[in-house]
Parts: sequence; C-alpha cells; structure tokens
Amino acid sequence: MEQPFSLTSEVRGTTLVIATSGYVNNVGGEAIAAEFARHNAAGVRSVVINLGGSKVVNSVGMSFLIEIIERLQDTGGKIFFTNLDPAVEKMLSIMGLFQFAGKAPTVEAALQELAATGGAQ
Amino acid sequence: MTVTALRSGSDDAASLERTFRALSGAGTAAELSARFHGALAARFGARVRIARTAPAGWEMLAGEPGPLPEAECAPGSRAQGETLSVVRQTGDGSRICAVVERPGAGEGDLTALGLFMTVFESALREIVSRRHEKDLIFSLNHRVLQLNSLIDTGIEVSSLECRSPHHVALERAASLTNAARGVLRVTRDGRLLEEVTFPHGSAAGSERGGGRKIGSSFEFGGERYEFTLLDKESRQGEVRFDGTDQLLLDALARQVMASLENRYLHRQALEKQKIEQDIAVAASIQQRILPKTLPRVEGYDIAGINIPSRSVGGDYYDCIPLAGGRLALVIADVAGKGVPAALLVSSFHAYLSAFLEAPVEPAALAARLNNVVVRASTEDKFITAFFAVLDPSSGALETVSAGHNPVFLRTAAGELRELSLGGIPLGMLDMEFPYQSETVTLEKGDRLLLYTDGVTEASDEEDRLYDGASPLREFVSRHLPDRAETFISDLIADVRRFTGSAPQNDDITALYLIRT
Repeated sequence: MEQPFSLTSEVRGTTLVIATSGYVNNVGGEAIAAEFARHNAAGVRSVVINLGGSKVVNSVGMSFLIEIIERLQDTGGKIFFTNLDPAVEKMLSIMGLFQFAGKAPTVEAALQELAATGGAQ
Repeated sequence: MTVTALRSGSDDAASLERTFRALSGAGTAAELSARFHGALAARFGARVRIARTAPAGWEMLAGEPGPLPEAECAPGSRAQGETLSVVRQTGDGSRICAVVERPGAGEGDLTALGLFMTVFESALREIVSRRHEKDLIFSLNHRVLQLNSLIDTGIEVSSLECRSPHHVALERAASLTNAARGVLRVTRDGRLLEEVTFPHGSAAGSERGGGRKIGSSFEFGGERYEFTLLDKESRQGEVRFDGTDQLLLDALARQVMASLENRYLHRQALEKQKIEQDIAVAASIQQRILPKTLPRVEGYDIAGINIPSRSVGGDYYDCIPLAGGRLALVIADVAGKGVPAALLVSSFHAYLSAFLEAPVEPAALAARLNNVVVRASTEDKFITAFFAVLDPSSGALETVSAGHNPVFLRTAAGELRELSLGGIPLGMLDMEFPYQSETVTLEKGDRLLLYTDGVTEASDEEDRLYDGASPLREFVSRHLPDRAETFISDLIADVRRFTGSAPQNDDITALYLIRT
C-alpha cells in the first residue's frame, strides 16, 4: 500500500533530479512544484522526475506536473519522467503529459538523453 | 485636479502597441499583471496598483499597497484629486481595476489609462479563455482516465494473480476521485478482521461526515467490506465529493466483489479437481484389489465383473485359492459409495486376505470379519457379504451370507435355489454374532450366481427396478450359456437393456460359476 509522500532532490550537472515516494496528490504535487520552483529560480532548466516510488498519482498532483511542464516550455527547458509504474505511465499518457515531456526507464537513461539532445545545459 | 495636456497621440499609440506586444506573451494572470504594471509605470511614471475583486474585496495583482476604489464601485473611469482609477467588468463576473497616483494627472491621462486598461482587459480575457480551454481539456482527459482506469482496475482485480484486489481498488478509488485518504474495513459480525488505510499509515480514525467522505460496501461470504474515501482535494482546497465520485467508488467496490466471487469459484474448482484426483487414486487402488483374472479350476468355469457407478465404488469380489485345493468365493457390498466406501473395501480385503492365510470355516470367517469391520467403520457404514468355500473335487460348497442378497443356485435339473443362511451384515452390530452356514453339493451342470444389489436395484427411466418383476430369477433360470463369461456379459446387457438411458446408480458386481 502506498506510503505518505516524500521526496529527495539533487542537481546532477545542470539537471535537477527529483525522486518521489508515495501518493502524488495535492501535498505531493505541491512539494514537487516547490522544489522545481526553487531550482528553476536559480536557473535550472532541465528536470528529471523519478516517480519509481510513487504508484499512485491523482489529477491534482498531475496538475502540478503539468504546470512544471508549461513553465519549462515557456523557458525552453526539458523534463523527463522515469521509473514509471505501468499504471502511472498510462495515467500520464492519457492526461497528455508525454506530448511535452519525455519518459525514460531510469534516471541515467534520461540524463543521457538530455545530454544527447542538448537539454542539459 | 490640475488639467494637463494630453501626450501626443503617436506617443500613446506607440506605447499601447508595445504594451499589447508585452502582454501578449504573458502565460498567467500574475505574469500579465506584472507586465501591465510595468507598462503603466513606464507610461505614467507614477504609483500604480492593479487589483481584481475577490470574495473578501479587492485582491492586489501588482503594485504597492494603497487605496483602491470601493469593491462595489461600478465599472467606469474616475479622477479624484491626483488619483485616477478605471474599473472594468470581466467576462467571468469579477472586476479589475487600475489605480494611478500621479501628481498633475489630467483628463488625457484618464483617457490613456482607459485605453491601456482595454488592452489589459483583452489580454486577460485571452489568458482566462486559454485557462478555461486547458481546464476543459484536462477535465475531459480526466474523465477518459477515470473510465480507462475503471476498466484496467476491473481486469487487474479480477486476475487471480492480483494478491489483494481490495487494496488495489482502494488505491485506485482514492486516486480517481482525488481523495486525500481512504480506508477499507473488513468485518464479520461487527468484529474487525482487517483495516487497510491509504496512504499506508494515514489516520483512518479521524473521519468527518457530510460531503467530506463517501462510502460503499458489500457483503460476501459472511464478511462485510466497507470502503470509505475522505477529504476530496482540489487546487483550491478541500471540496465535496460529487455523484461521479460515488459512482466510481461503487463500481470499484462491485469489481472487488466480483473478484472475490471468482476467487471463491476458482478455489471450489481446484478443490473439486483435487477430490477428483484423490478419487482417481482411490479407484486405481481399488481396481488393484479386484481380481484381474480368476483362477482356473479343473471342472469349473468362473467369470466375474465389477462396474463401479462412480469412479470409485464400494463393491468387492474375489476367488481365492485356499490350502488343500479349496477355493473361496467372496462377494461384498459396502453401504455407500465413493472414497469412504472404497477405504472400507480396502480394509475388508486386507482382513479377509489375512484371515484366509490359515484354515477357517465360512461362519467363523464372517464372525471375525464382523469384529474387525465394526472397529474399522463408522456407525453408518457396514458391509453385506457372501462367503463360499468350494471343494472342487467333491463339489461341496459351504456358504454363509452376512446380510447379502441371496445367491442363486441353478441346478442342472432345472431347480432354482436361494442360498441366504448366515447372519447380519458385517460391522452393523458390535457383538459376537453366531453366523450360520449351509452346505450344498454342486453337480455337473449346476450354476451359481453371486451378485450385489447394483444388479437387482438397477432402475429404468421410470424408477422401476430390474428385480421388480423378478427378471433376474427368470434370466438365471432360462439363460444357460456354455461359458460363465458369456453369462456375465449377457446379464450386463440385459440389465442395460432394462435401464435404457437411465444412469447407473450403484456398483454392479457379479460372479458366476458353472460346474462343467
């Protein structure tokens, strides 16, 4: 059963890597958005969000993820979601997130792809 | 108010054009307000405030705090001292206002502020429209997601590989309805068997009523499953659950119930399969204790058959060579069928084989078997049996019946006798019962038929018994083939002819001997 939400973050090169655990709902989404905003204000334009520890995402949580995507679109940034549970991947797909965001099996794969496409500054 | 000259029309036109371009790139209302604030500050070089109405009055969008028009102030342009204000009604029912504090502000500034406000209003409307469009798309996608997830969850929880369908359903229900928390309680007679909270460890106890929670429940197998979702979230804070949320929760609860039913039926099928396997093993064991071939005895022709009504039956027969060239003929029928009957037959066979190792008279054999069968069987289980010991050379046949069907002796002279002397069925009474035996002598051409009640009680489609009009006596009297095997196969054919398409209700066993 899903645990309460928590996250960790680190900057790998110029990419913010956020790893979540637990239910991505209002609380979880807000925490992710705040962590992104803090680094975005400092100039970070590429983000990898590892949702491997989150098996459940609700639409409020997704609305925060969409805001991050929109913010990065406005500023020419890029975002990848990784380690997706099949159910979560399908949810994000139906909600249209992958029209504007990438997905990768692992954080390392996402970082490689960002480097290859010049997404990581 | 001091009347000041209007700026040249071309200055304001250029400024308005720059403002229009600047505002067009804004993605949010806050960003738009900040840019508009900058444009007004550049145009008027003064203190500028931009606000919109909110439930509690004006809400500042940009600028330093300061006086604003009355919140109820009607849309329009106003000049009061050095303060210019323009209030506009927006499409969503709220109002926006811009306030400029500029020393020496004049009519021309008020007009210009009105024009700037029109540009802002237009840009804000576009942003609001884009926002609405995005919200609509989001809402539609969410509906698709709910339907899709409902189907996926149904497939997942109905899979036998899904370890805990009720846990999955609780997670999905919370997620699809935006519930912050959920709890599932399983109770039996009001006693809590299991409580699952979502997210794990969230406080399930603090449940408030009203629209703050919804629930759905069902009962299965004497257990009550009660789902409760709490605290529906939105970006604006907690909201009430709606009818769609209730429908989703009810649908997911029904899926769990269907899954539990399927699992129950699957378990039943597996248990049935296991029982059938056990029965097959028991049948295999029982077939081994029945004779594959009968001994060849000079001057006699012997044949037998056993047709179990189920895959394992409770009938038994055998011809066992004894010391001194004698031969034991045995036929037995355990009350009941299936594995319990087969187990008792197996015990009977073991005791019989052991007792026949040493010389024993049929009556004593029946008494000894009665003692052991009483201990080996339950109260409702007993065995009817017929024992005969034949001295082939003299034709002397000593018989004892333990409550079994009479054995027919059809003499070469045409007489039909019934051999039934003996006593009670084996295992019926826990006492030293004095079985009695009788002795006859088989002459050349005499025939002996031992059978179980599967023959006499074979019934047709109208439940009439084969023995009802004594066709067996007739058959035994008149049907006299040369070979014992022929008699057995003809007897079975006659029974089948009589029963027609009616199913076989009991084991059919018969043993036939001809003194040739």
